[in-house]
Amino acid sequence: MSADNPFSQETFADSLKLPYPLLSDFPDRKVIRVYGVLNEQTMTAIRTFFLIDPQGMIRKKWILANPATDVVYSPTLLKDIEQIVNTR
Amino acid sequence: MGNRVRQRIAGVVITVWTILGAPELSRAEIPTLLQKLNLTGYPRVTKPPEFNGRAADGRTISLASLQDQVVLLNFWATWCQECRPEMPLFEQLHRKFAGQGLAVLGINAREGISAIQKYVKELGLTFPLVLDPRGEINAAYGVIGLPATFLVGRDGRAVARAVGPRDWNSKEAFEIIRALLSEPKQR
Repeated sequence: MSADNPFSQETFADSLKLPYPLLSDFPDRKVIRVYGVLNEQTMTAIRTFFLIDPQGMIRKKWILANPATDVVYSPTLLKDIEQIVNTR
Repeated sequence: MGNRVRQRIAGVVITVWTILGAPELSRAEIPTLLQKLNLTGYPRVTKPPEFNGRAADGRTISLASLQDQVVLLNFWATWCQECRPEMPLFEQLHRKFAGQGLAVLGINAREGISAIQKYVKELGLTFPLVLDPRGEINAAYGVIGLPATFLVGRDGRAVARAVGPRDWNSKEAFEIIRALLSEPKQR
């Protein structure tokens, strides 16, 4: 989910051949604000991962303070996803 | 029917085709034409993002100012190797179809005017090149790789996009442009 318009997201997804859908929170940015990750200066989303379990509970979140240098590696995400799946 | 008569009919058809161009194509045929050039079509209701920018020649150009025209928007940069061979093709499209209502526009990606002017001179480009120093137009269109090209119909709807280069000097490209030019003007 991002604060970009759907037209922009379509081109972005096409360029990267993304196999999953992108959601647009443009122009209101309501969801981004509710999740507490709106950068009020740029009106864009702070790069964040939320891991939500099948019951709808947020089990984990990673906020990337500096997206240019901070990275959340796939194994980190996978480890937490597996933990949720295995405790069901 | 004798061979001579057949040849005569074929000759007349070719002559009329050459003088007038391809006959008007229905809107239903446009998706088929887009596929031939590997373009991705948009649903009919899609509106492209509005923009307003300064061109390298000093003019101010907005998408709204191109009302009633078919618009070809090409996102490019002087450092983009795949963009370079496309630029003379866009120049040819501009020269061939501008008089019929095609507006070819280049949208540069975050470069200064001196680099653009040098490039324009080198390639002999005469179609307008819009500056986008802060990348705002590029962001609005979601362009993260160059080249990327968008087609807008006379009615202002987004028709198609191409992420990556295409042969814009091909029979397929001409067919698409002619089909869009034959549509009515209505926004």
